[in-house]
Amino acid sequence: MIVGGCDIGSTTGKAVIMTDGQIAAYSIVTSTTRPEVTAKMAMEEAMGYLGLVSMEELDYIVGTGYGRLKVPFAKENISEITCHARGANWLCPSVRTVVDIGGQDCKVMSIDAKGKVIEFVMNDRCAAGTGRFFEAMARALQVDLEGLSRLSLEGKDAAVISSQCSVFAESEVVTLVNEGRELADISAGIHNSVASRLSSMVRKVGLIEEVALTGGCAKNAGLAKALEAKLGVKVVHLPEDPQIAGALGAAIIAAERIQQLAEVGKKA
Amino acid sequence: MSKVEKARLDNQLERLKGDKALLQAFVDMLAIDNSEEADLNRFVLQTVMNKYDEIMNCAENDIPFIAAYFANCPEIFTAMDVPWWIFLQTPFLGVSSPFLAADTDETAKMGWATDFCTVLRLAMFYVEKDLTPKPAGLIALLHPCDGTVVVHQAISKSKQWHDVPVFGADSPYWDDERSFKYYAEETDRMVEFVTKCTGKTLDINKLREVCKISNQTYALWAEYNELRKAVPCPHDWTMGPPQCFALACYYYPGKIEAVNWFKMLVGNAEKRVKAGTGMAAGEQIRALWFDILPIMWQFDLSPWLEQEWGVNIVMNMFGYTPYEPIDTTSKETMFHDLAKRSLCQVPMIRQARGVADNFLGDIERIVKDYKIDCVIWPGHMGHKDGNASIGMMREKCRDLGVPFLYIGLDLFDKRYTSIDDLKNKLSTFFEASGFKHK
Amino acid sequence: METKTKSRVLQEFQEVTKTIMNPALKKEKDKGTKVIGYFCSYGPAEIITAAGMIPFRIRAVGSTGTDLSDAYLSSINCSFCRNALNMGLAGDYDFLDGLIVLNNCDHVRRIYDNWRRKIKTPLVQMMSLPKKITDPSIQWYYDEINILKKAIEDKFNVKITDDKVREAIKLHNETRRLQRKLYDLRKKDNPPITGADTLAVTVAATALPLKQYNPMLKELIDDLSKSEGVGKAKARLLVIGGVLDDPEFIKVIESTGGLVVTDVLCFGTKDFRAEINEKMKDPIAALAKYYIADRPSCPRMFGDQPRRAQLVKDLVKEFKVDGVIGERIVFCDIWAGEIYMLDDDLKEAGIPLLKLDREYIMAGAGQVRTRIQAFIESMGR
Repeated sequence: MIVGGCDIGSTTGKAVIMTDGQIAAYSIVTSTTRPEVTAKMAMEEAMGYLGLVSMEELDYIVGTGYGRLKVPFAKENISEITCHARGANWLCPSVRTVVDIGGQDCKVMSIDAKGKVIEFVMNDRCAAGTGRFFEAMARALQVDLEGLSRLSLEGKDAAVISSQCSVFAESEVVTLVNEGRELADISAGIHNSVASRLSSMVRKVGLIEEVALTGGCAKNAGLAKALEAKLGVKVVHLPEDPQIAGALGAAIIAAERIQQLAEVGKKA
Repeated sequence: MSKVEKARLDNQLERLKGDKALLQAFVDMLAIDNSEEADLNRFVLQTVMNKYDEIMNCAENDIPFIAAYFANCPEIFTAMDVPWWIFLQTPFLGVSSPFLAADTDETAKMGWATDFCTVLRLAMFYVEKDLTPKPAGLIALLHPCDGTVVVHQAISKSKQWHDVPVFGADSPYWDDERSFKYYAEETDRMVEFVTKCTGKTLDINKLREVCKISNQTYALWAEYNELRKAVPCPHDWTMGPPQCFALACYYYPGKIEAVNWFKMLVGNAEKRVKAGTGMAAGEQIRALWFDILPIMWQFDLSPWLEQEWGVNIVMNMFGYTPYEPIDTTSKETMFHDLAKRSLCQVPMIRQARGVADNFLGDIERIVKDYKIDCVIWPGHMGHKDGNASIGMMREKCRDLGVPFLYIGLDLFDKRYTSIDDLKNKLSTFFEASGFKHK
Repeated sequence: METKTKSRVLQEFQEVTKTIMNPALKKEKDKGTKVIGYFCSYGPAEIITAAGMIPFRIRAVGSTGTDLSDAYLSSINCSFCRNALNMGLAGDYDFLDGLIVLNNCDHVRRIYDNWRRKIKTPLVQMMSLPKKITDPSIQWYYDEINILKKAIEDKFNVKITDDKVREAIKLHNETRRLQRKLYDLRKKDNPPITGADTLAVTVAATALPLKQYNPMLKELIDDLSKSEGVGKAKARLLVIGGVLDDPEFIKVIESTGGLVVTDVLCFGTKDFRAEINEKMKDPIAALAKYYIADRPSCPRMFGDQPRRAQLVKDLVKEFKVDGVIGERIVFCDIWAGEIYMLDDDLKEAGIPLLKLDREYIMAGAGQVRTRIQAFIESMGR
């Protein structure tokens, strides 16, 4: 049995192909302006690693993505809340709180042992706490994203950035730069600010260990460290690229669908 | 009437006439439908139109009328035979929705903070722009929220209404005998005020008759609410709490018209419950929408909720009826019970005034009694106290084992959270909570 | 412009405003004196004093964020409340033996509900504050004060006698007289103290035992009476608004060359414009009358706007004010409406008004500065 999951986000598109319950291949591509194009690119890249040529060769494809973004060739589209929860649970069954930081939104889910969502909160109103925020801050400090993360780990005396809104936070950062604050301290402050935002959301659903980060920003070591400090618990390390958690969850659901259809078939 | 006065009156009645016309259009749409449900709805629409007629008639013929609220023991107005209305009804009903966005923007230009409750800002707008007829007296609502205290001060200071006599009934924060006594005494003063403004007096025997009829209305409403507990709920989005509230609390408090309508409503609901008839799309999710239903969104949102997710909003804040009958023995008992009703039983005030235990208890009661599958707190931007209660609501729902969604929207300005955003949030919520699309 | 005196007292007052706990308060706590916090100026602090305890007005200075309170209050709630609740949840207010909350506004009244569920302050008491100024409402508040009195007596096993209340009234009135004297010095053409430092003085009164505070303030006033002036101000300003307890904010305003010479804030003029009648037989009745009827009202009091507007006009005259700054914390409905109404009154009186929205924790000082500068320039100064 070979299934696929496809997750289209604002910044990147992801695809995961699973065979017999294992990850066979995955891809992460930069999003284009057309979601259907992004989805196709992601899926075809993953297929390429396995020498697959046509989507027909996959038994079932489930799509996911932000809001109305739908994967056109998917048999069904499921919310990314559900998919991220399942993906995180598969990667690490002891995870009970999932913090997903995407390009344009961030969400926190409280999940049970089976990866079912108990509660969730989303921030999809503004850039605060998302990849977009980090991009803007990196520009303000004139470094790249990796540089921003590295700097934050070097900060000794983190600056305090009080603005909740990323637009105002940016001007606060510019002021700090002009005042001659150490870039490392400013970056630490930026990461603390995001961690604060995320920690708020975690407390809304209730902090239950283990805590895992998913999404593109999960690979930011500075953010993980800042969040651990805010929450007072260690963030668990996931065995695969955390950015694929959504597409992985979609693939897992695809496999389940086949199982369900088979059972219905048996009954019939 | 001088030419200037006539022109001014025309300006004041313009929006009212427009609202009426829109309502007439709805009535006409229903003309082809001969069902009992359509009859019930037609009656409600006609009632609203009659209110416009009543007030316009007063304005055109110099008959004194009062601007007041359903939280001011309205049975008393019925007993005193005083014409009155909630002048906020115009933006509230959203019939003026073609103007809503422009009017809201105008309030910002006028200098009102945009984080102030939209419907209250619109009330100020209507007064400032002289788009509503001047009452003989204004009864200011001083609870449940800050916004209403402040906007009524501004209204009674405005160029247009600065000479309108005003009275505000002070409301205590508690729900005990001391509080009921205090508010009953305030109500006494309110009656004096209304007499001064209109010349009409209060006859206690008349009040007794009115309260008896009111008791019938509320008893029937309670019956109807019992029927709504049935699975499936007998009515869809077109029939339910908003209409009940409108007729019982505002348009016909203590009037036989309400009794007759409720009789028909209960009869219809009984039939449907016996036959097991629910909403046409098939009920799948029973929701508690813990606020006013966004009336102007009814057409965009409710059909979608029903057809896409099988959601029936079985209960909302305006439909919950923990009312106690009024003891008609004496003036003291009647005033006491009317005060109690106005302080802690009428909608929105029941949930927003006073301590959080009030509404948390309601959520628990409603979830259990109505077999609620999920609780939605829309989080209207004007409800600052409600928005400060999201943690407590979330925890209560967690204890009850029902999913809870906090949205954050403006019930009157669709641009704050667009209908598409709203649908996305709802879909994500339903799906993540384990419900399936229809 | 700076306050020229090197007064040690002023320094101490400034220190007190920078933190929640302060050394003098800690000393008292270590001695076993109880501290009761209160959220609003309508809270009858005299009752707390009469109980032999120290009244402490709740602030959120030094708050590092709202991570904890975000689970309870939303992003459209007042940032003062969000930060204050956060500090409560973080344990910064663990030293309180009691807390009095009033329904002064929609944001604060829900703090009562959240605080008593989540924070273990021994006594959390709510008071129902009327929304009108009438004899019945004064009577209502009289009863509420007695209910509070009994709650404190029962919880802490103390007796709050009428004599103790009378003594407390005398003590608090003394503070009022001294603060009035301080403000009188600011009527001069070249006042000896800045607005920022004055705010530190009035805020400190709510965080220190008054028995210690009063003599300190007296010393400061003597000092200032002999002091040089702060310098020539570009414009004399009055700041009006709700809870503003951060001298830094006034400093930012004054960094433009304007000088804040008086105010209508929760801390400041309203505290001492009137006094409690010490001759009334029933001291509780004296308290009720003072708080509801005599003290300049909060905009939540229905029907009192004309008197409030008159106070502003009177102060403008008394302190020779050139312009008024109306500030409010975003999402505050009460001050949104009041400033809207004040706008009309001041336009009529020909007094310039600048409307300023702010957050409790100051961010964007540059933006504030720019606006004040433009305002002063627009007055032709």
